[in-house]
Amino acid sequence: MSKHSAVPPHKKQKTLSSPAKVKIRQLASGVRGLDDILGGGLPEFSFNIISGAPGCGKTTLAHQILFANATPEKPALYFTVLGEPALKMLRYQQLYSFFDPAKVNKAIRFINLSDVVLQKDLSGVLDEIIKEVTASKPSLVVVDSFRTVVRKALGTTGETDLQAFVQRLALFLTSWQATTFLIGEYTEGELRDNPVFTVADGLFWLTQNAERNSVVRKLQIMKLRGQASVPGLHTIRITGDGVQAFSRTLGLSGNRPRSLKRRRLSTGIAELDKMMGGGSSKATACSCPVRRGRESRRSRPSFSPKVCATESRGSLPSSRSARWAMWRARTRLASISRRRKERERSSSSICVRSTSRWTRRCRRSSTQ
Amino acid sequence: MNRATRKLKTLAEHLLGQDASATEGPGTAAFRACERFRHTLSSLLGGAGYRALLGRALLLATAKAPELAGLQVSADGSLIGAIAVEPRSGSGLVADSEVVLIAHFLDLLVTFIGEALTLRLVQDAWPKASLDDLEVDKGQTK
Repeated sequence: MSKHSAVPPHKKQKTLSSPAKVKIRQLASGVRGLDDILGGGLPEFSFNIISGAPGCGKTTLAHQILFANATPEKPALYFTVLGEPALKMLRYQQLYSFFDPAKVNKAIRFINLSDVVLQKDLSGVLDEIIKEVTASKPSLVVVDSFRTVVRKALGTTGETDLQAFVQRLALFLTSWQATTFLIGEYTEGELRDNPVFTVADGLFWLTQNAERNSVVRKLQIMKLRGQASVPGLHTIRITGDGVQAFSRTLGLSGNRPRSLKRRRLSTGIAELDKMMGGGSSKATACSCPVRRGRESRRSRPSFSPKVCATESRGSLPSSRSARWAMWRARTRLASISRRRKERERSSSSICVRSTSRWTRRCRRSSTQ
Repeated sequence: MNRATRKLKTLAEHLLGQDASATEGPGTAAFRACERFRHTLSSLLGGAGYRALLGRALLLATAKAPELAGLQVSADGSLIGAIAVEPRSGSGLVADSEVVLIAHFLDLLVTFIGEALTLRLVQDAWPKASLDDLEVDKGQTK
């Protein structure tokens, strides 16, 4: 028997599958609260679309991302196309605190493609982008507004040509290791069958809705390949510091690793531990309703001092999940108490369930 | 003339002085300065954006310096025509009307994007020029 054949087949398989999977690095967005919503940050080398109606904060969001990440070593290119004139864009954007004039034309280069779009077709636009990207080797690329490129192109070319253009653009920018953002004014009706959205890795949808007398801006991550972003509508606001996002789940959801098998803490009563599957779960609140008197002292779970010293610091649980559990237990007890009081008020005959029955049963099982 | 305009005229003179002795390039120092601006700003503002800005500066400058009436902005954004003969400023190499034109152009840039960004762009157009010595307020736009 050869040396290699001695290795069991399942071990061989493990060896083959052992090379590490790709690790997608995440870029800090520079937007407060957005990284939590995205599931950690912006996926590096991704091809994204920032979309929404005018005034939602698309350009501000893109600028904020660029100014947070661009450096002279890893520059960014900002292509402007028939949208907001660059002069006006710079005039207004510099009012935000994140705008650093020292980065303009050093770390961030603004390039106007209006003339190219007007004079040439899609392949001409692509050639111009390729030329600039090849010359600058940027780590971040923004096209604002990409919608105007598409609108101009659809007048002269078909949908297939547009899809080919978008795919070539995505392929080129990804292979040049650039994280890309296309900005465009799209409506929800345009989401279907749009080649741009099919190719994109990420889709950031911005809206602003009037609610009574106020306007609320919302952000939805409709798509983000390779990351578990928080679904749903998240409120955003635009201040002097730029865009700020507030997660719908207030940062309480996420991908905190939780072991499936929770550690159990002994109650001090062996039989009770057995009944509870090893004791009370760690980081949970346990309510023990017992009758006042001798029984309560005997049957009250007594956690071993060692466990108490290591697991709970002070009178309040230290971990967030334990605090949550404590809060839930308190709320539940308050609700039970309220319901009982209401029952007492409404009915002349009071029926109180014996809380000591459970305790007696525990004691009986522990003495047997 | 207010303080800001005086500062911009000083900056314009300084920039034109950089190109005054150069022999390559078309026309006078103002032509060469406009070419530098065109090269730097066309990619940022687009051809149409730069043409509009230079056209406006030329119109404003002609009101103060009639010698510039013979100048025009071509379709590609370059300056064409000729400046009438006129007295020269300080060093004798740069005409006063040229200084007025460039100062107005800088003034428009400062109005729209502020001094900090304007100086950043000027530095890009004249990489060898030292702007630190000039008494121009930096960063007031923020």
